[in-house]
Amino acid sequence: MIEVEGLEKSFKTVQALRGVSFAASDGEITGLIGPNGAGKTTTLRILYTVLRPDRGSARIDGFDSRREPREVQRRIGVLADSRGLYPRLTAREHVRYFGRLHGLAGASLEARIDELVRMLDMNDIADRRTKGFSKGQTMKVALARALVHNPHNVLLDEPTNGLDVGAARAVRDLIRRIRDEGRCVLFSSHIMSEVEELCDKLVVVGHGVVLANGTVAELRARTGKHDLEEAFLRATETGPETGAP
Amino acid sequence: MRSVLRRIWVVFAKESIDNLRDRRSVSMAMIYPFVGPVLMGALIAFVGDTITELPNSSFTLPIQGAERAPALVAYLEENNVAVVVAPEDPRDAVRIGRIDTALVIPDDYAENFGAERQATVNLVVDGSRLSAVVAMSRALYALSEYSARVSAGRLTARGLDLSIAHPVEIKQINVALGRNLTGFFLNMVPPFLIFTIFIGGVYLTIDTTSGERERGSLEPLLANPVARWELMLGKALAAFAFTMMAVIAQLIAFKLVFEVITGGDLGLDVDIGFGLFVVMFLISLPLMAFAVAVQLIIATLTHSFKETQTYLGLLPLVPSLPGLVLVFVSIAAHPWMMAIPTFGQTLLIGQLVRGEPLGALSVAIACVTTGLAAGALLLLAAKLYERDALLFGE
Repeated sequence: MIEVEGLEKSFKTVQALRGVSFAASDGEITGLIGPNGAGKTTTLRILYTVLRPDRGSARIDGFDSRREPREVQRRIGVLADSRGLYPRLTAREHVRYFGRLHGLAGASLEARIDELVRMLDMNDIADRRTKGFSKGQTMKVALARALVHNPHNVLLDEPTNGLDVGAARAVRDLIRRIRDEGRCVLFSSHIMSEVEELCDKLVVVGHGVVLANGTVAELRARTGKHDLEEAFLRATETGPETGAP
Repeated sequence: MRSVLRRIWVVFAKESIDNLRDRRSVSMAMIYPFVGPVLMGALIAFVGDTITELPNSSFTLPIQGAERAPALVAYLEENNVAVVVAPEDPRDAVRIGRIDTALVIPDDYAENFGAERQATVNLVVDGSRLSAVVAMSRALYALSEYSARVSAGRLTARGLDLSIAHPVEIKQINVALGRNLTGFFLNMVPPFLIFTIFIGGVYLTIDTTSGERERGSLEPLLANPVARWELMLGKALAAFAFTMMAVIAQLIAFKLVFEVITGGDLGLDVDIGFGLFVVMFLISLPLMAFAVAVQLIIATLTHSFKETQTYLGLLPLVPSLPGLVLVFVSIAAHPWMMAIPTFGQTLLIGQLVRGEPLGALSVAIACVTTGLAAGALLLLAAKLYERDALLFGE
């Protein structure tokens, strides 16, 4: 369960968020969509505790990301905006490192790593050092380490960005699987077809505010457009009326 | 508390293993430390020999116009100076370093000498070369002895007392604890060691701070349920371990070099046994923590990997500089000086290698102040880790 209320955040001269509010429920995939610079990554970064908001609150399962970051971090799996790996560690060692930071250890941790290796089809790369990994291979490692502690809430920043068709589909399948286990998935994207195919709920952001919020069908109905891309453009165009410049 | 220590340990272990696989980190900790001792061994072996020749060992003096001063030449040969014919142009030969010094006896020497007037001889030297300075002082010594002997003979012949011509007799008393100049080179141990303390963990610090940010692995790391100061401390401990490795490697290298070059006898009243190196290591410990904290702060505040590399590459020169000066200039150590991190250790390690007793107060001041400074800097590093800017390098 993710709840965001009145989130504001400025960087020097740029006001990235001007009061973002939305919620993402368990057992649902919520898509955070919007053009580049809309505030998607900043919102996610506040949720996964690496940035602090100027105002407003971000809560995961009721815990505030600013006041109780440790509780929040225990409950989230994060595919961050940057997903760099350690070139001298193997894929398996990456997952093990994050597992240990989550307090896992021993046989149960190793079993969980094996499970992720199978689930993400990483057998061929699991024991290779990650130097020279392709984007798809890097993504698998980043996902595996994000999920090692079986988090109830999964935050993914543009998870299919830069992946080829096959890898992107594998990621989408994984996202559905996580949802079907009753967990809460929040992911950002700017690819309409992907959002349309995958999301139960949509949160459209632009200029640091939420422009529209609802299911795909609701959004279509509200904008009067059947094509979601049209609806999306419509929503971002109406931005000024909802408070953005 | 246990889980805090466990998380710090997890970070420490990961960074240590990761950097043990990195050629650059390992060479900083394992190869660099050998450079200083090897260099010093070479210096002791080659230059040290020149300087430490005993005064009555044989010494070669090229002379031009030897035939004009047979008595002088005979005297020199009697006194262990091998007289050879100087090259055509002795000035040039000395300037280019073919010979260390040359004695030129002018045309009018025999005439003046025979008439018991003051006779001049010219000693050609190059004062800018160390070996030449030694040759020069040997030649000067022999010549002035000869001069004194001749004047003594002449005075006696006239029935006068020697003290008229030599109102002051100079006797040298060498107070160096050692018997030779190897001690001079031992003074280079402190600056080398300080340099190593500040370079040993450098690559690890850069890799785990600026490198972590630049390769994009910092952001996912920060989303784990670990306090930022815990991450910082884990990384600092790994850098500390690598610094410790570097210092141990260097101390072992120093011990080996001393033993090989000198056959275990430095010609000093210093026991270069195991204990000396253990004490040096223990005195260095708080400074290692200080060095790591400084490196972490610089690495956290800089914008990029390259920038960090530049600053941290130059950093070791600063604390080593006073030690290098102390190789040539000696100062009286006061307890307050011990309170200056790096300088106190420079002085203490210098005292150790010279075989001087360490004051308990001095050691306590150096260790406590440096340790406290290291702690304060680590607190500051923890504060810097809390900033949003950590993620962006601003």
